[in-house]
Amino acid sequence: MTVGTLTDGEVFDAFPGVVLTHDNIAHYRGLLERKLLINRCDDCGFWSRPPRPLCPECWSRSVTPTAVSGKGTIFYYTVMYQGRELPGFEYPHLIAGVELAEQEGLRYLAPIVNVAHDDVREGLPVELVWLEDIPGGPVAAFQPSAS
Amino acid sequence: MASNRNPLKDQVAIVGIGAAPFSRHSNRSLLDLGLEAAVNAIKDAGIDKGQIDGICGTGLGVMQTHNAGVLSLTGALGLPELSWAMNGWLGSQIVYSAEAVFAGTCDYCLIVQAEHRVPAWSASAANDPFRVRASNLGKSVASPGTSEVFDHYSEGWIHSGEPYAAYMNWYLDKFGVPREMLGMMAINNRQWASQNPAAAMREPFTMDDYMSARMIRSPLGLLDLDLPIDAAEAMVITTADRAKDLPNKPVYIHALSLGQARVSEYYENAVWGEQAPWKAFANLWKRSDIQREDIDLFYPYDGYTPTMVGHTEAAGFAPTGELWGLFQDSWDEGRQKLKLNGRTEVHTGGGSLSHGRLGGFNYYSEAVKQLRGQAEGDRQVPGATTALFGIGSFFHDPAAVIFRAD
Repeated sequence: MTVGTLTDGEVFDAFPGVVLTHDNIAHYRGLLERKLLINRCDDCGFWSRPPRPLCPECWSRSVTPTAVSGKGTIFYYTVMYQGRELPGFEYPHLIAGVELAEQEGLRYLAPIVNVAHDDVREGLPVELVWLEDIPGGPVAAFQPSAS
Repeated sequence: MASNRNPLKDQVAIVGIGAAPFSRHSNRSLLDLGLEAAVNAIKDAGIDKGQIDGICGTGLGVMQTHNAGVLSLTGALGLPELSWAMNGWLGSQIVYSAEAVFAGTCDYCLIVQAEHRVPAWSASAANDPFRVRASNLGKSVASPGTSEVFDHYSEGWIHSGEPYAAYMNWYLDKFGVPREMLGMMAINNRQWASQNPAAAMREPFTMDDYMSARMIRSPLGLLDLDLPIDAAEAMVITTADRAKDLPNKPVYIHALSLGQARVSEYYENAVWGEQAPWKAFANLWKRSDIQREDIDLFYPYDGYTPTMVGHTEAAGFAPTGELWGLFQDSWDEGRQKLKLNGRTEVHTGGGSLSHGRLGGFNYYSEAVKQLRGQAEGDRQVPGATTALFGIGSFFHDPAAVIFRAD
């Protein structure tokens, strides 16, 4: 399904390292438009990641990539001191599975920014922030909630 | 939910084991290492190579080439024909192979696991033109079927080591456990490795050494991560009836299970205590006559210390979050080793952390040596007759297996 206005070709060009499928391309199109889209079932309301064409709860095929609020809490995190290449970032680098406010267990992997690493704990409230000018960007990141 | 059916109980036996040396840099091909292990295992079994009619080689998918897969092995060993063939990785190879022998699809099955350090893990490997070429052309065996590069945050954690560090941060924080719990496992494994002439790292270290090791991904330091090496091991398995006529004391496969949990690719979706190893062990215990309190030797997957925590809890040695208490009660300060509940020895060969990274395959041959009473280097556990394995990731290929000997 098409959400947004960018063509499939434009999304392919923007994410050369990602395996794009009919099921996940709407999510990546959303990133380019600074929308964090998560699949939500039109029938039972269940949110799920990765993007799939079938609701795993009720087996409805009516599933819509839907923008989330961008609110959440840190569920899993690690500070990486070395490892894979990190275009646009420096070591040490903090990455987290953020539990999104929309549903228990609904998580999104993202860098955590604008925070001292020692201040990060499980349960820390965070909010979505878009990082521009990053290779492969815009990147959906999270920072401590303002309120 | 599986039933408690276990018709293959003690019907398949390991009759031969063999290895190629474990080293940091062999300057040999993966196939070369695999062939050395295979020849040694077939000789150890006391059979003619023409009797081998099944092979489970290294890799995912039977089209594997230029490595120690079944296509390469069959030709290179000069085997005339097979009636069963596949490739595999991690703990599941022995499950597939035992099922094939039990079902009668083959009678003598050779299982080969070979491993190379790859450029993604090691600076020196990244300077080896052979490894770089294999990696660039997608022939590296390290992460079969998967990319070695991280593509995008929005792809989640797929087949990555990073989430294991993140789970452990969560675990230590939630249950109020110090990093020393992980250190005990690392020290235990190195202590055993110091008694294993084949181990790649044999110098014992202290808790201070552990705590001060370079941090890689918090809370995991250098000594929490398995040891990338070049190595290979192989086994021959056959029916219990055939095993009686062969030279070695048979080691029987008593029960086994695989496992899978509802995670759907992205590891950040997982909940500690509900991942695949927990499913595998729950189904193993339903099928097995031998229960946890009967286990002499235990080999929980130690690709990282967090996987060892997970497999040990999954096996039921401690409830979720309570392993630290068991470890404190089970730590032998004099030996610098664990002995769970005063009985169960852990990773008698040094495991992936110190013997070396071989997808857990080396645990099987270590246990076979112990159950035959043939472990070298003063590490034989007297009277050991049972061995328990939890081998694999939290997401794919977690095999829970029990070996038994008379």
